[in-house]
Amino acid sequence: MDVLIQQLFNGLTLGSVYSLVALGLTLVYGILHIPNFAHGALYMVGGYITLTMMTQAGLNYWIAIVVSCVVVGGLAVLMERLVFHPLRHAPAIHDKIAAIGIMLFLEALVQFVWGADYQTMTSPYGQVVNFAGVTLTMQRLLIIVATVVVMALLYFFLKKTFTGATIIAMSQNREGANLVGINTNRVAMLTFLISGALAAIAVSLAAPINLVFPGMGHLVLTKAFVIIILGGMGSIPGAIMGGYILGFTESLGATYISNDYKDLIAFVLLVLILTIKPNGLFPAKGGH
Amino acid sequence: MKKQKFRFLSFLLIAFMFLLAACSGGGSESTSGGDSGESDSGGGEGTVNIGYTGPLSGPAALYGERTLNGVKMAAEEINEEGGIDIDGKKYKVNIVSLDDKYLPNEAGSNAKRLIQENDTPIIFTPHSGGIFALQVFNQVDNFLIGAYSSEPKITEAGNTLTVRIPPRYDGYLAPFTKYQMERFGKKIAFLPTASQYGKDWAEALEPYWEEQGGEIVYNSSIDFTKDTDFFTIITNALKENPDVLFVGGASEPTAKVVKQARELGFEGGFIIMDQAKLDEMKRVTGSYEMLEGSIGVMPLVDSDEAAVPDYVKKYNEKYGEDPGSEAGLNYIGMWAFAKAMEAANSVDDPAKIRDHMQDGLDNIPDYARVYEIPSIGDDGGFESTLIVGAIEDGKVVPIPAE
Repeated sequence: MDVLIQQLFNGLTLGSVYSLVALGLTLVYGILHIPNFAHGALYMVGGYITLTMMTQAGLNYWIAIVVSCVVVGGLAVLMERLVFHPLRHAPAIHDKIAAIGIMLFLEALVQFVWGADYQTMTSPYGQVVNFAGVTLTMQRLLIIVATVVVMALLYFFLKKTFTGATIIAMSQNREGANLVGINTNRVAMLTFLISGALAAIAVSLAAPINLVFPGMGHLVLTKAFVIIILGGMGSIPGAIMGGYILGFTESLGATYISNDYKDLIAFVLLVLILTIKPNGLFPAKGGH
Repeated sequence: MKKQKFRFLSFLLIAFMFLLAACSGGGSESTSGGDSGESDSGGGEGTVNIGYTGPLSGPAALYGERTLNGVKMAAEEINEEGGIDIDGKKYKVNIVSLDDKYLPNEAGSNAKRLIQENDTPIIFTPHSGGIFALQVFNQVDNFLIGAYSSEPKITEAGNTLTVRIPPRYDGYLAPFTKYQMERFGKKIAFLPTASQYGKDWAEALEPYWEEQGGEIVYNSSIDFTKDTDFFTIITNALKENPDVLFVGGASEPTAKVVKQARELGFEGGFIIMDQAKLDEMKRVTGSYEMLEGSIGVMPLVDSDEAAVPDYVKKYNEKYGEDPGSEAGLNYIGMWAFAKAMEAANSVDDPAKIRDHMQDGLDNIPDYARVYEIPSIGDDGGFESTLIVGAIEDGKVVPIPAE
C-alpha cells in the first residue's frame, strides 16, 4: 500500500514536469503547426540561466527563476522574429529544419560557454518530509504545487483575458484572426514568450532533482512529443492530461509490470488511445 | 557584362570557401607543427603523430575531454624534455584528436583518417565500442590501440596490437563483494546504468555475488539518457529491502541515484561501478557522509603514490579541476608508449613498440608514475595493482584488493 502511494506521488512529480514542458510545446504548435524541436534546447538554456544566476550572481532561487523566464522567453521571441517569422509562408518542412538547426546551435553554444560537465543546482528546499510512510522532499512538493498554480494562471489568462483569447483565435485560424483585426505578429511573439517562460519554469523546478548538462533537453522533449500527440496537437487540456497520464504510466508500469518495459508501456498506451481517438484525447478545435 | 561579373564573383566565393576548408584542416587539432610521421629528416628533429578518437561532443564529451587531457599533458611533458630520443634524433609528440561522438562507426572512420592523413603509429580511444571497431582492422593497417576500457574482452580477443591501459573490471568483483557482505549483508539490488558497459558489469557481478552465498533481490538498470527522475525505480528496488545497492555510470548521475536512495531512507552500502569516481560523486552530494559505506575505485587524489601530489597540482593549474583516473591513466599510458618507442628504437613500427612496452613501463620517469604499473601481460593489458577505496566515517579508506 505504501508503495502504491509512494509511486502515485512519484508519478505526479514526473507528470508535473512533463506537463509544463508539453504546455509550452503545444502553445507554439498553434502558431508553427509543427512541433518545435528547439523547445528542449530552450528548457536546457533555462536550466543554465537559473543555475548561473544562483551561483554567479548569488540570487535567490525564486528571483533566479524570474530572470530565467525573462531570458528564455526573450530568446524564444528572438527565435520567432529571426527564424520562424521569415519562414511563415514557407512549407512546414522548412520550419522543422530550422527548429532542429536552432536546437543544435543552442546545444553547441551552451557547451561552449558552460562546458560539457554535469552541474548541480542546489535548491533551498532539499528537506526530506516523511508523511504516512511516504517520502516526500520539499522540492518535489514544490514541483507539484507550482505546476498546478502555473496551469491555473495560464488557463485563466487564455480563457478570461482578451489577450489570451487572441492567442487561441490565432491558433485556430491565422488569416481569420488577422481579418478581425488581431495583430498576428504581436500574438506570435507573445506565444513564444510564454512558451519560453514555461520551459524555464519547468527546468528550474525539475533541475534540483536531476542535473544540469547540455543533453538535458532530450530527456523531456521526446516525452513531451508523446504527450502532445496523446493529448491532441495544440490542445491545452490535452497537454496537461497527457503529461499526468504519462507520468503515472511510467511510475505504476515500472512498479507493477516491469521497469525495463516502462517506455514500451507508455507507447502501447499511445497506440491504444490513438486507435480509439485518432486525433488525441482532446483534439484542438480549429483549422489545423 | 553583368553576368560575367556575377560569374567572377561566384568563382571568387567558391575559391575562398575552398581556401577556408583547407585552412581549418577538417577539425583536427595540432599542438605543434608538422603533419607527417617522420618525413622531415635532418637537423636531428622530427615529429611523431599520436592519434586520439573519443567523444568530444555530446553527453559523453566531458569524459572524452578528460581522457584527452591526460594524453596531451604527457605529450607536453615529453616535448619539454626534448622529445622521444631515437638514436640521437629527437621526435616531438604531436597529438591529433578527432571527435567520434562515442560511436564505434565514427571511431572506425576516424582511425582510418588518422592513419592515412597523419601516419599515426598509435591511436588512443576511450570506449570499448570504439576499441572493438578499431580491432577489426588495426593489425592489417598496422597501428597500436591505446585502449582505455576495463572491459576484459578487449584483450581476450588475441589482438596483438592492443594495449589495455586500465585494470580489468572483473578484478573488482571479489574485494567489492567481500567488503559489502561483511559490512552490510547478503541482499543486493542492481541499479547500474543501462549502457552496454553497465550490463556487462552486472552480468559479471551477478554470478559472483550468488556464488558467495548472496541473493539478488532486484535487478534492473537506469537509463541516464532518458530518465528525468530516479525516485520511481529506487522505490521499487528498496521495496525488496536490500542491504546493498549496485550503482554506476557517469559519476554525477550516479551520485544523484545515491542521494535519492538516501532520501528514500536507504541505510545500507553501495557497490560503485568503476566508471564512477568517489571524489567526483562527492562534488554532487556535498560530502562523503551520504556516500558512507560505498566501495569503489580509489580516487587518484587520495592515492599514496609519491608522484600524485605534484601531478594533481600541475593538472589543476592546466585544467582547473582535480584529475581522475581517466586523465591519470591515459597520462601514464602515453608516457609508457613514448618510452617504449625509445626502447624499440622506432617511432613507426607498432609491433616493435608493442614488444618493448615492458621496457617502456620500466623507464617512465618517477615524477610521472601516478599509478603503480609493474608489468604488461601477454594479452596486452597493463597489470596494475588494484586500488580500492571505501568510505568509512566520512573518509576514503584504502581496502586491500587481494
